[in-house]
Amino acid sequence: MRISTAEITSQAILAIDNQSSALQTTQNEVSTGLAVQNAADNPVAASQIVQLSQQQAQLTQYGSNLQSAQTRLSLEESSLSTATTTLQSIRDLAVQAGDATLNDSDRQQIATQIQTQIQALLGTANSKDSNGEYLFAGYATQTQPFLTDSAGNVSYQGDSGNRLIQISANQTVADSDTGATAFMDIAAGNGTFTTAANAANTGSASIDGGSVLDSTQWVPDNYTLTFTSPTNYQITDTTTGTTVVANGTYTSGTAIQFDGVEVTVSGTPAAGDSFNVAPSGNQSMFATLTQLSTALSQPADTAASKAQLATSLASALTNIDQDVSHLSTVSASVGARLNLLTAQTTTNTATGTTLTSQQSNLQDVDYASAVSTLNEQMVGLQAAEQSYAAIAQLSLFKYLTF
Amino acid sequence: MGDMLNTAVSGLMAFQQELDTTSNNISNANTPGYSRETTDLVSVPGPYIGDLSIGNGVQVSSVQRVYDQTVASQVVSATSAYNQLNTFSTQAAEVDNLLGSTSNGLSSQLQSVASALQTVANAPPSSASRQVFLSQAQQLVSNLQSDDSSLQSLDSQANTQLTSDASQVTSLAQSIATLNKQIMADTSQSTQAPNSLLDQRDQLINQLATYVNVTTSQQSDGSVNVYIGSGQTLVTGTTAASLTTIQNAYDPSQDDLGLSSPAGAIDVTQQISGGTLGGTLQFRSQMLDPARNSLGQIAVVLSSAMNAQNQAGLDQSGNLGGAIFSVGSPSVLPDSANTGNATVSATVSNADAITTDNYILRYDGANWTLSDASSGASVAMTGNGSAGNPFVADGLSLVVGAGAQAGDSYLIEPTSGAVSGMQVLATDPSQLAAAAPLLTSANTGNTGSATIDQGSVATNGSWVRGNYTLTFTGPAAYQVTNSAGVVVQNGAYTSGAPINFNGVQVAVSGAPATGDSFSINDNASGSGDNRNLSAMAGLLDQSLIGGTTSINSAVNQLVTNIGIQTSQAQSGTTAQQAVLTDASNAQQSVSGVNLDEEAANLVQYQQAYQAAAEVINVSSTLFNSLITAVQA
Repeated sequence: MRISTAEITSQAILAIDNQSSALQTTQNEVSTGLAVQNAADNPVAASQIVQLSQQQAQLTQYGSNLQSAQTRLSLEESSLSTATTTLQSIRDLAVQAGDATLNDSDRQQIATQIQTQIQALLGTANSKDSNGEYLFAGYATQTQPFLTDSAGNVSYQGDSGNRLIQISANQTVADSDTGATAFMDIAAGNGTFTTAANAANTGSASIDGGSVLDSTQWVPDNYTLTFTSPTNYQITDTTTGTTVVANGTYTSGTAIQFDGVEVTVSGTPAAGDSFNVAPSGNQSMFATLTQLSTALSQPADTAASKAQLATSLASALTNIDQDVSHLSTVSASVGARLNLLTAQTTTNTATGTTLTSQQSNLQDVDYASAVSTLNEQMVGLQAAEQSYAAIAQLSLFKYLTF
Repeated sequence: MGDMLNTAVSGLMAFQQELDTTSNNISNANTPGYSRETTDLVSVPGPYIGDLSIGNGVQVSSVQRVYDQTVASQVVSATSAYNQLNTFSTQAAEVDNLLGSTSNGLSSQLQSVASALQTVANAPPSSASRQVFLSQAQQLVSNLQSDDSSLQSLDSQANTQLTSDASQVTSLAQSIATLNKQIMADTSQSTQAPNSLLDQRDQLINQLATYVNVTTSQQSDGSVNVYIGSGQTLVTGTTAASLTTIQNAYDPSQDDLGLSSPAGAIDVTQQISGGTLGGTLQFRSQMLDPARNSLGQIAVVLSSAMNAQNQAGLDQSGNLGGAIFSVGSPSVLPDSANTGNATVSATVSNADAITTDNYILRYDGANWTLSDASSGASVAMTGNGSAGNPFVADGLSLVVGAGAQAGDSYLIEPTSGAVSGMQVLATDPSQLAAAAPLLTSANTGNTGSATIDQGSVATNGSWVRGNYTLTFTGPAAYQVTNSAGVVVQNGAYTSGAPINFNGVQVAVSGAPATGDSFSINDNASGSGDNRNLSAMAGLLDQSLIGGTTSINSAVNQLVTNIGIQTSQAQSGTTAQQAVLTDASNAQQSVSGVNLDEEAANLVQYQQAYQAAAEVINVSSTLFNSLITAVQA
């Protein structure tokens, strides 16, 4: 085949051009470390890289969501623990107030201390996080959740919302509990029923908080225990109007059992004195504590008022125990969520590592092969240049003389 | 001996001519388009002397260029195919650099917006994180706009390219017509072909092929007719048409190609292919416009979805939120040839159904029809085009005014202007609606198993704010009372069916017990609520576009499509370059000058020349011998 002389040169230049351009591409890959920089480099890989970057960015965001939830939940945990400590010290004061040797002014003093503790508890319940959001207000985080009215009653101003934080593609976690859950909606008494003394009682008998023996037999109705004489009593289900115990014999300090529960009355009742047993409703811990402080502020100079005080103290202690156990339940749920966050952090880290390595596989240059390609291409370019230099020297004119 | 001298002289003349041809070949070894020439010799027959006839030497019959029409036209077609692909891939690579970067593209900016939303969701009252969201939203708009305006500037570069290429085509056409004229004159006067003019004309046709695909037809008078595109006449004999850019009938900012004809410039944009013109047109219609429309579609769907979500929630002041973004409206461009004066307005009625296509709306004197601008496929419309009952198709609402004449048409571009007109409307961080409008809860004393969803409110102003209680008066009957205890709604209960009252919609499912109640409260105080934001952050991954594609995957698809088109064009260019090299090798193999061959020819002709000169010498010697003999 004939070859034109000009074509030899243009072919050689084209070859050198192509080799140089391939070399430049490889050099760029080696210097940036990226095999895929633009979609055209490898459209399929590029699409996966973009998706992986999206997932990476999401993971990073989940990480910061996790931290935010962790901060708030840790804060809640420590608030709950502070509240428990406060309750414990109030319980100590209540126990102390039961000492029969105390006089009215001693009890008044205790009541004042309890008032102070209630304020401390309120402060804890109204605590804010670093963003200035109330911890226990539900969604209404800009509204102070617990307010005291002029009568000293504490009311909840927040709502029932639970803010959920996204911690992975399909997992959310509540970053707080509402004030209602934590401090307000607590089953009163022993959790099943409450006991109370009739305010008109004249005897010195008082009733304890009672306990449940067999919850299957318990019928959640209102009951009245009436002393027909100082040694005999009758129990009536006032909801249904039926008599549960027609005539019991009373011994001070001995448990009275009916419908799967027992209550203990101590002291000397007067005929006609009565005590009420009612199914538990919800009672806020502030109401429990305010009632305690009010009871301690009442003068207890007669046998009857002393008995009233004893009943109030017993009921308060039962309620406080209930409150403490309630706080520990809430705290346990917070702890469980914190554990979930820790576990999720680990999972997210692992996922992140996988994503990074997938992305690197797709995107990063394999230096070993890139460098060897680079060498091959350099050799190729050199060969093209050298061969052209040699071929360009060839000319018949050099050998002919005319 | 006189014959011998004459014969030798004819040899000298012929060999001189051969040496001249060789010299010309050597001189033009590097001339583009030059075809090597050969000298054709024929021997001159001599008279019969008796039975003998000795020739009278040699004579040059012609100087011919070595030329093969087939390989030459292969080079022409390979040139135009290569230039089309090369132009397309070069311009596509610019778009690929712009949108196809795997590191900092649109998708990462979208992700930043979603992350900013989640950061706000972690502490909705924080105005700092709300401000970050607004900046990220602003940044997203800037990113989209910078991409869009870069694409637009590529569009105007394409216009410039078309204009300059068209003028090159025109000037080449004129040169070809001029050469045709000279060649026709030479051909009529001489039997010898005007080789260098033919070479020049072939070279011009080759050059023309770099701009557009070319076909030629050889005429008996020596001229060639040149056709471009799908057979549009560029040169006939000595007449050249001119190729110019003309304004698009609909869109004055877009240049089309017009070929001059006796009837005025004819739009040949659809017919042109091949060469840099074909490449630029292909780039514009297959990559640039679709990419801009895709960006527009993403902007339209994103802003519509985020606006709707923000409007469904409560902002920091406890009011229903407003729109976060606004986007440019669909553009309606009347055909410049319209004779009527009807106004057509287009609005987006359903952002999720918007496509990346453009449409042509035509009036035939009685009916309006809509068709896809690129495929021409007809698109079904509902409605009658009035303001009360507009034409609706593919997410668009079209209202046509009176005054249209038969044959009028309008180009409708639903998304091309969306990005350039995009704005962040929310200026105050508090305008981000983080909270859901309602807070529903079941009464703690409920004994049934029914649950209530989080509900929603009407955004058209019909929502009567306040707290409501939904109470079951029986297992299958409910009533809703407002905070004053007034019954606002009652009805029969169906599990999961929506219950509507006062602009509120809730759904209760499960088996309620008589007396069970649910509170449905106005969440105005819920400044720490993040439900609406969480929903908003999830929008990017929802299958919004056409009900099948999420915004994130649309961005990914856009990037991938650009990548695929670019890489295909690049490998196509490489392949076509090989085809062109082969064709050009074949052509050069026939017509190219090889200096070694010419060197050998030079030796051959020189030796022949010397031999002929020697014959004269011998003839002279013979003559001298004769004279001497006679003198002696």
